[in-house]
Amino acid sequence: MIATINTELKPFEDLAANFATRELTPNKEKNDKYPFGEFFDDVLEKAYEVGFLGTTLPEDFGGIGQGMGALCVILDNICQSDASLGGIIFTNAASQELMLSAESKDLLTRITSNATQAKDLLIAFPAFDNPSETKNMADAKKDKANYILSGNIEYLVLGGLTSHGLISARIPGQDVYSLFLIDLSDKGVNISDPIFSLGLHACPSVDLRLNKVKGELVGKEGHGSIYFEEVSDKMHVAAAAMSTGIMKGSFNEALSYARQRYQGGWEIINWSEIKMMLANMAVKVKIADMTIAQAYQGVENKGTEGGLCSRAAAIHLQDMACSLTTDGIQVLGGNGYMKDYGQEKRFRDAKQIQALLGLTPMKKIRYIEKIIEQ
Amino acid sequence: MVSRKEVKSLLGREPRFEDIMCSLQSMPILPKGMVRETKQAIAYARRFNDEVAKPYALEEDRKTFEDPDYLPWDLVKKANKWGLYTMFIPKMFGGKGVSMPASACVIEELSSACVGIANVALVHYLGVSGIMTSWNVSLANKVFREVAEGERTGEPCIISLAITEPGAGTDVEETELIDKGKVTCHAEKVKGGYIVNGTKIFISMGHVSTWCCLIAYTDLKKPSENTVTFAVKTGTKGFSFGKHEDKMGQRVCPASELIFDDCFIPDEYVLAEKDQLKKFKKSVKEIVEQYIHYVVSVTRAGVGAFGTGVARGAFEDALKFASETEVDGKLLINHEWAQSMLAEMYKNVSLGRLSYVEANYANGLPGGIYNLTQQKPNYYYLKYAPSSIIDRFVSPLLDSDITSWIFRKIFTDGQPLEAQQRSSGWASLAKVVGTDMGVKNCQMALEMMGRAGLRHDSGTEKRLRDSKLLQIYEGTNQLNRINLFANLIGRSIPQSKSFEE
Repeated sequence: MIATINTELKPFEDLAANFATRELTPNKEKNDKYPFGEFFDDVLEKAYEVGFLGTTLPEDFGGIGQGMGALCVILDNICQSDASLGGIIFTNAASQELMLSAESKDLLTRITSNATQAKDLLIAFPAFDNPSETKNMADAKKDKANYILSGNIEYLVLGGLTSHGLISARIPGQDVYSLFLIDLSDKGVNISDPIFSLGLHACPSVDLRLNKVKGELVGKEGHGSIYFEEVSDKMHVAAAAMSTGIMKGSFNEALSYARQRYQGGWEIINWSEIKMMLANMAVKVKIADMTIAQAYQGVENKGTEGGLCSRAAAIHLQDMACSLTTDGIQVLGGNGYMKDYGQEKRFRDAKQIQALLGLTPMKKIRYIEKIIEQ
Repeated sequence: MVSRKEVKSLLGREPRFEDIMCSLQSMPILPKGMVRETKQAIAYARRFNDEVAKPYALEEDRKTFEDPDYLPWDLVKKANKWGLYTMFIPKMFGGKGVSMPASACVIEELSSACVGIANVALVHYLGVSGIMTSWNVSLANKVFREVAEGERTGEPCIISLAITEPGAGTDVEETELIDKGKVTCHAEKVKGGYIVNGTKIFISMGHVSTWCCLIAYTDLKKPSENTVTFAVKTGTKGFSFGKHEDKMGQRVCPASELIFDDCFIPDEYVLAEKDQLKKFKKSVKEIVEQYIHYVVSVTRAGVGAFGTGVARGAFEDALKFASETEVDGKLLINHEWAQSMLAEMYKNVSLGRLSYVEANYANGLPGGIYNLTQQKPNYYYLKYAPSSIIDRFVSPLLDSDITSWIFRKIFTDGQPLEAQQRSSGWASLAKVVGTDMGVKNCQMALEMMGRAGLRHDSGTEKRLRDSKLLQIYEGTNQLNRINLFANLIGRSIPQSKSFEE
């Protein structure tokens, strides 16, 4: 729908929508069983082949060099079917953006130029954290030209899929943190089993225990939060697009069900209470579309206002998605609660996505602080 | 000030005093023993939480993901050993006879630890209510005493209630809808009993139940006037279990498909049928409607307590997290916004609790289902008379047809419409408030905890998954709002019509 505002994005919408219909929808229930079922390696590989894992990555690095608009359109359409792949695309894009923000071009080139399959290109990152808030970071000691990292990192998204990890660590004597790239296959890295979470089941996360692991500094010492805030300004709108996709999926499923299910002698869509619920959902979906269109353009135009648009969109749409998907189950009644339909998954995924990039209340506090700073 | 006549007239205006001050009216007439009994029940539930519900909640939930066919037999045995299946069955039927309003408090306690396990232990009382409110005390006595015997032998005997059908969920909860709905569970009268054909779905604890309170219809075109209820035992020829659902939450409590294929049910297992109900002043349709309202007056208050419990559990998770976790350099609990969120969550829990407690006060007022057993002489006799005396002098009376007739007379013709509306309206209110608060608090807790709450081992994400079902079963919250409107608002507006558009 965003593509109706910017026709240049139409090919990405078509590509992502077709991909979702073909690769995700038929197996969404099966794929959601991970980690108790198999991981959808084949789908991830196909997503890599069509370029979803390098949407905003410049062409110099082997990406397709698009802006946030294209990433939003792709995430929106993918998440209508299965937000887990959306979580993978989002996390990888956030990692790449952090390395670009830090101007760690050599490290990024090393990863991208050697990639021959999806897992080679992925960079794991604790996407549900703002490291400044909860200090989910290791300790880093400088050892000649290198850094040696020890400590625990919780909830490293994509951690079980790839050998590249982008994490935060604090250097003794510094109040601020730095970003480091680590090799997750290093013998000093202990990786947990996949964490079983509320939603995004097929977007795996793990806990890490680091024992004297070599880390390569990404950008400058102590600049971690600067890079994170810069990237957050962009990536919040992408997270909002994921929520938008989930809302659309939930609404469409509810509308379709309401046309078929009977109650009191006729299709439930004829009951005004159901109409009212569907109307509220439809309004939210439309508002979400308009919000994303405005917000991604703000981000692409750069400047402080773009960041505020992006963050406001995420805070608002993530909340709307949690509310809408609750009604999305409710319209289907007991059936909505069962795994046969996609509604319960969307309800879980919406809540999971709300936690991307940090605690929701703290996102609000930071939002107003940015306005106050102005 | 005002004359008695004026008082009566003024208090009869909407909102009527007797509908909005249930607790104030109840307290002077309730036996004091209920306070002590409720305290003991809550304390017992907390001990069960410490020793069973909390240690097993996450492990049992995880097992259901690892093995989709997993059934909670071990938990059922534990709940049986703890006496939870007879705790609220009246002593005259072989139970422990703890007063039913206390069951809601126990539900809250257990749900604050795990809603799934709370259901494993207590959704059995949905079946108990279904059997009890048929007022077939003879058959109730037989089934309930088997439950008590199951406790004695260590072989659990629990009861499920089967009403929902594949094509009819909301419809079967309301007589105004059911005649237009698509019910298919048919009971054909034959010599010596009925032949039942049809399927029931989403039946809580079906696979692990011994008895099922089954609702079927002798005429599918006019089910509201042709409802027949049965007590059917697992193993009866023609009665089998299909799949149990792959649910988002409350996974340890199976939601079962029950299949009846030319299942012959003898007359002795009929709880209530049309011919029995023709002997009263009310029409058969009115009595069927009354039956549904009696059941839901109890069970919806209970679901409100489930919601309150999960709201409390989520609040406790968030409070613990906030007390132990630093955010932006200081403990979360010392951020003013976090204190405000926690206060809001505490408020939600309290509102849920006030609502289900008030709904049960409504059930204790004259015409309410608990009124008879809460009258002091009855209460104290049943509480303090030794079981041996009750078994010797009361139980034999229960097997007489005349006793069932007396119970039916008291509870059908003896219940004024106003009392039915008050109890049903309050139960719907309690259900909506408690369950909405449950979902709301889980969402708030996850917002406060971020990724820490999302992981299964935190337990908080499970609470959210568990809580959502509460807004759906025992009538969706949408149905309950309309029921609340019909019973406490629309009744005084002659031109208003509910359940039809």
